[in-house]
Amino acid sequence: MTMSESGGTYIDNFPAEARVVRSALYSSFLALALGGLFGIIQTLHRTDIYRFIESDMYYTVLTAHGVFLVVTFTIFFLVGVFTWAVTTSLDRGVEDIRFTWLWYGLMTIGTVMAAAAILAGFTDSIDMSADVLFTFYAPLQAHWLFYLGLVVFVVGTWLAGADWFRSWWAWKQENPDERIPLPTFMVLTTMLMWYIATIGIAVSILVFLLPWSLGIIDSVNPTLTRTLFWFWGHPVVYFWLLPAYMMWYVMLPKISGGKLFSDPLARVVFILFLLLSTPVGIHHQYLDPGIAEGFKFIAMTNTMFLLLPSLLTAFTVVASMEHGARQRGGTGYFGWLKALPWRDPVFAGMALAGLMFAAGGFSGMINAGMNINYLVHNTLWVPGHFHLTVGTASALTFMAATYWLLPQLTGKALWNRSVALVQVVLWFLGMTFMSNSMHRAGLLGIPRRTAEPQYQGFEFEAGVGSVAELDFQLALGGALLAISIVLFLANVVGTAFNGRSDDLPANEFAETLSGPEDSPQVLDNLKLWTAIAVVLVILAYSFPLMSIVDRGGLYGPDISPFPVSIETLSLLAFTLEQYTTAAIATTGEFVQTTLTGVIR
Amino acid sequence: MGQAIEKPEEKREIGHDEYNPVGTLALILLYFVLLVFLWFFMYFVEFLGNDPTVVGTVVASGVVG
Repeated sequence: MTMSESGGTYIDNFPAEARVVRSALYSSFLALALGGLFGIIQTLHRTDIYRFIESDMYYTVLTAHGVFLVVTFTIFFLVGVFTWAVTTSLDRGVEDIRFTWLWYGLMTIGTVMAAAAILAGFTDSIDMSADVLFTFYAPLQAHWLFYLGLVVFVVGTWLAGADWFRSWWAWKQENPDERIPLPTFMVLTTMLMWYIATIGIAVSILVFLLPWSLGIIDSVNPTLTRTLFWFWGHPVVYFWLLPAYMMWYVMLPKISGGKLFSDPLARVVFILFLLLSTPVGIHHQYLDPGIAEGFKFIAMTNTMFLLLPSLLTAFTVVASMEHGARQRGGTGYFGWLKALPWRDPVFAGMALAGLMFAAGGFSGMINAGMNINYLVHNTLWVPGHFHLTVGTASALTFMAATYWLLPQLTGKALWNRSVALVQVVLWFLGMTFMSNSMHRAGLLGIPRRTAEPQYQGFEFEAGVGSVAELDFQLALGGALLAISIVLFLANVVGTAFNGRSDDLPANEFAETLSGPEDSPQVLDNLKLWTAIAVVLVILAYSFPLMSIVDRGGLYGPDISPFPVSIETLSLLAFTLEQYTTAAIATTGEFVQTTLTGVIR
Repeated sequence: MGQAIEKPEEKREIGHDEYNPVGTLALILLYFVLLVFLWFFMYFVEFLGNDPTVVGTVVASGVVG
């Protein structure tokens, strides 16, 4: 892979970009600190170990925990690491640094607006609140500032994507015959997915929730806003995950002492995520009465296909690590694991995150099954699941990656590697306790999103252990995670105040065993994959959305300012069907030739 | 403090054709066995008892229906 000629650190080669990336990462860590604080408050409250807030404030805490961690922390990290990836792999700075600061500024302003609305919920002196949780669909209503903040934030991410596309187009003019470098390819496919996914949330906010919160419209159709939320709410989980995947593909092999096993396979994985991330959102709504079982079944089928790219990733990433281990002298079927650099916090953090993700894969399969989902729906099992995925696979990878990135961005050595190693291991241990107890509690039917899951005249029966034991594990895990966050932040601050170091490794990413030249050119045809992705979304969503509007009205059952006639709907449905069948038939051939080319 | 990454001590170079990821295969088989076990276990958790999803006992007698 091409690297900067100078072979220096990132800040040596791209000082202006390093400032933006650093700012994005610091914003992300500030959100981590706040979100983590609300996390431990919530853990101690619901386990009844220490309650110092009123239970009616629990939703404010829960909203802050959710929004700050899964929107602010993850996405600010994403834009930082994606800027690093594009500039490093194209070996060129951004086209206009003012534009880069513009989208960073928009994201920051949006965050401040949404955060103000959420945090105002803690005081009665301001008539403002946004206790709507991260899943901010109706009937819960937030202050308009919350929705407007989200809009500004999302527009910021759109412009960030435009910035990276602009870099790629400029690079392509100068390198017309070259394949897209892998990190840039991953960034672009992820952003295409994001553009499609955010249509749902843009419509939900701009057409329904924002006018509703401003009093312009009187009511909304809750099922419609839920469905539009999940249209975005599932792909957003891949928006959290794909930066972590990118680091597993482009950094982990190198840190293991080896090379990426297959560049073509990595491209296929990201294309599959672009295609399949969005047409699955209805699997979050298996228990919604307003959606027919058939539509749910289609969502389930798509979801099961979505396991494929994650399993492909498990194979490619582990095979790349094994390559490193064998080059370092590892032998045997399992003995090679000992040859991996477990004392390196960057490696240990990412590898442990991957291991946790394998466990999250199983609970995800349970969630995805329509019938089994009934067992765990709305129970503590579900937070148990996503604390393994976004809470560990993403978060722990981001923290481990920071130990590599921060010296690159500041030119300063990491403050303390031992603290870093303890930190990643503590996260792993803490999450083992917390997530295990959450999954088990969910199986007993203990609900999620509840301040006091204790009921008069009713006791949950634990098959193994007891509810008190589960509560203890949950609180212990939460406490370890809180300590881990403190250690992480200490390392970030310590590094920021370190002196400049001349002894840093060059800004490089992993080489490949099998490079892009081994894959068909069509993999880089982003227009084709985007077109197929759009068709799949239309197939999965047009009929459910039409039937929801048909049943409940566009603006809810009470008022219907835009009367919807059944005749026009069925005509529209028929035209759509004809259209998509034709489109699928033509793209089908493309897919077939591509797959044969890739598998060969 | 040292560098952010320890320099991997590469002992030998293994190319594309000589590399055979048997360790990866071993791990994947292990994961597969674990998944099968968990699915099997789930059968006992969910279906064998044939109980409703929320499992528990109502202790008080004065529950208004």
